Amino acid sequence: MMESGMRAERSLKGKKQRPDVLRLVCLAVLILFLSGAFMGAAQGADKSDKDEDEVIYNDFTLGIGDRIDISNYRVELIEIQSVKDGIAVMQVSKIGGGLDEQRAFLVNRANNFVGGAEMGGITLTVIDILDESSARVRIEYRKNLGTPSRRASDRPISAGDKPALSVQKSFDRTELNVGDEVKATVTITNEGTGKALNIRLDDSPPLPQFSYVAGYPPKIKDSLDPGQSDSAVYMMNAIKEGTIQVSAIQVSYTDSKDNLKMNSSLPFEIVINPKSIAELAVRMDSSGPIAPGGKAMVNISLANVGAAPATRIEAKGDITPPVGLEGGSFDRSFFEIPPGGEVNYSVMLSGKDPGNYTVHLKATFDGGDGSAIREGSTEVVVLKREYKYEYLLLLIPIVIIIAWLYRRHREYKY
Amino acid sequence: MLNVIILGLGQCGNRILDAVNKEAMGGGGASKIAKYCLRPKFPSRVETLAINTAINDLKELRYTTAKDRLHVPNLHGMGANRNVGKQAFMENRDSIMGEIEKRGNFDLAFVITSTSGGTGSSFSPLLINELKRQYPNIAVVTVAILPFREEGSIYLQNAAFSMRELMELDAEGIILADNQYMKRLGGDIASAYDRINSTIARRLLFLIESLDSEMLSVTDLGDFKTVMNGGLRIGTMGFYQADGKNSSVKDAIENSLKPNNLLYPANVANDAARAMVIIQGSREHLDVDQITKEVEKIAASAGHVFKGIVVKKGQPRVLSIFTLAAAPELESIYAQAARGMQEEKEKRLRARKQLDDAFAHIEDLEEIY
Repeated sequence: MMESGMRAERSLKGKKQRPDVLRLVCLAVLILFLSGAFMGAAQGADKSDKDEDEVIYNDFTLGIGDRIDISNYRVELIEIQSVKDGIAVMQVSKIGGGLDEQRAFLVNRANNFVGGAEMGGITLTVIDILDESSARVRIEYRKNLGTPSRRASDRPISAGDKPALSVQKSFDRTELNVGDEVKATVTITNEGTGKALNIRLDDSPPLPQFSYVAGYPPKIKDSLDPGQSDSAVYMMNAIKEGTIQVSAIQVSYTDSKDNLKMNSSLPFEIVINPKSIAELAVRMDSSGPIAPGGKAMVNISLANVGAAPATRIEAKGDITPPVGLEGGSFDRSFFEIPPGGEVNYSVMLSGKDPGNYTVHLKATFDGGDGSAIREGSTEVVVLKREYKYEYLLLLIPIVIIIAWLYRRHREYKY
Repeated sequence: MLNVIILGLGQCGNRILDAVNKEAMGGGGASKIAKYCLRPKFPSRVETLAINTAINDLKELRYTTAKDRLHVPNLHGMGANRNVGKQAFMENRDSIMGEIEKRGNFDLAFVITSTSGGTGSSFSPLLINELKRQYPNIAVVTVAILPFREEGSIYLQNAAFSMRELMELDAEGIILADNQYMKRLGGDIASAYDRINSTIARRLLFLIESLDSEMLSVTDLGDFKTVMNGGLRIGTMGFYQADGKNSSVKDAIENSLKPNNLLYPANVANDAARAMVIIQGSREHLDVDQITKEVEKIAASAGHVFKGIVVKKGQPRVLSIFTLAAAPELESIYAQAARGMQEEKEKRLRARKQLDDAFAHIEDLEEIY
């Protein structure tokens, strides 16, 4: 985030200075064109002198402390006083004395020393301030002064008083449901060496997919010392589903020299799913047909297969027809069933009269989107009393034989 | 189909009737089970009725259904007294004849009775008489059992008088079986009775079956009546079953007439008046020429012989029925009976005289108190 902030800062500077530079460049080109024409005329008068007196120039990119040496002139970039205003400070001296001057340079304003290049001196122009620590400098001079050379600074580079704020904006989750609360955190860190002043956050416009609950707009400290950070948190409620591009948040601040700087976070996407609600599945099963007078267990399962907790669950059951199958109560209350959770209970039934009975269960609950009702049912069969006819069938031949034998016995009994 | 009724009178007649039912069940030990699951397998339509004044005798029957047992109520039994028996029959005649009537019409009636007991010997002449009166067209054949000679003088006396009454009836004759003669069939008295009863029962069933079968050579009820009307109208039966060792039908016929195989001691060659020889067996054993020759041999001495041949699987079985022109054994029975009666009469007179002599001692005396 910090790196991105720096890039954004540089980009801003370039955009602000480009019209002035163009204007100055055009002016410089015109001057050069005129001076060239003038020098061309002079060259025609004295061909040999012309070559020696010819004014040429070189462009150098100097960092703070870097210098350009030509003949006995020494030009050193002291500081970039204002990138915004295009002011750089350079010191120009001449070995052996006679010149030791520190002067603020406006961008694209030529500064003559010892009469300037036309007069055998030098002319310096800051043609661009690249950043807080470097600038592009043009030196004009007569050819007879030799060739200018760039000398890197042999002094340690001082960071100077340069605040650099990084800004981060993040949500506590990137996928949520309509109705969910999300926490947005904005963190500003001064990663520079100077104090950041007049810090302003720009987190607009508010996202239409959220309703802002608390803490918006985020407020942070006006100033941050180097290494210090501050953060602000605000709460929102997702109110509309979709994929949302969360725009970058911008921070603007000034350094101690009142240089305005800006940085911004990276935009990111979050997904808002449809509102999560509870869905209650009612499952019932019985232990199969029961004999008259027998007992059967009805197992009831209330499972929350939704994405939100089901609350205030009230289960009520009844049996149709109401007579012939008796048992305990199906009515139960549960405070909450979390998503994926399940509650089970069983009711013992006793079959009195044969028939097919339906156990019906109605569960009302609050699923997060109002009250809902889910129902389930199961069949319980009470069998007819089974008479063991097959065993009687076995007895029939025996009874017949016995009856036959008894009859025959009676026939012969006197 | 021949309609037959078999009446068993008295203890002896009941037991032989029970043996008939037993044989109709298959006979032997199997008949004890068979009676619970099978019906008596008679060759014709056979009805049976056991009649007795002693209820305990009826209760001892095992193979005769309860409905076929008729108790003639008599307070103290017959006491082997034929006069009491006759009176009891006359008092219960309607109920007895009613029971017989319930069994429908018949072509042939067998009356099985002992000649010596109380109920049988007294009921049988009266019953046969009633049968002939009510059913003049049916053949009534008496199967009369002569007693063991040592059973006592009353039994012999009963046998003598009973036989005389039976012979005087206008019935189709008497088939005699002599317990004394057949005693040889078993060791003790009880087993001898059982064997005698079974033997008589099997021969009767054989006869009924043969009379009602499609024969190779036909004999029928008419032939049987003719045989039974021959001679003294007293006859008996002989039976022989050939075995694997000797399956000759000729030998079987001869053996059936041998004294050992008769129910009553008789000499067929000398005493037979008419005869019927019924032969059953597999066709391969039935050599008609041999049978004819053998029958002709019998006819040479017995006068007329009816022959019947029934083709039925098995070794040759021969039943010979013949009536007698003379019955010397009967004469000895009568003689023995007469002796017994005379002895008893004399004994009684002697006893009476002794009693009178005893009473004479107090003839002129009065009781003194």
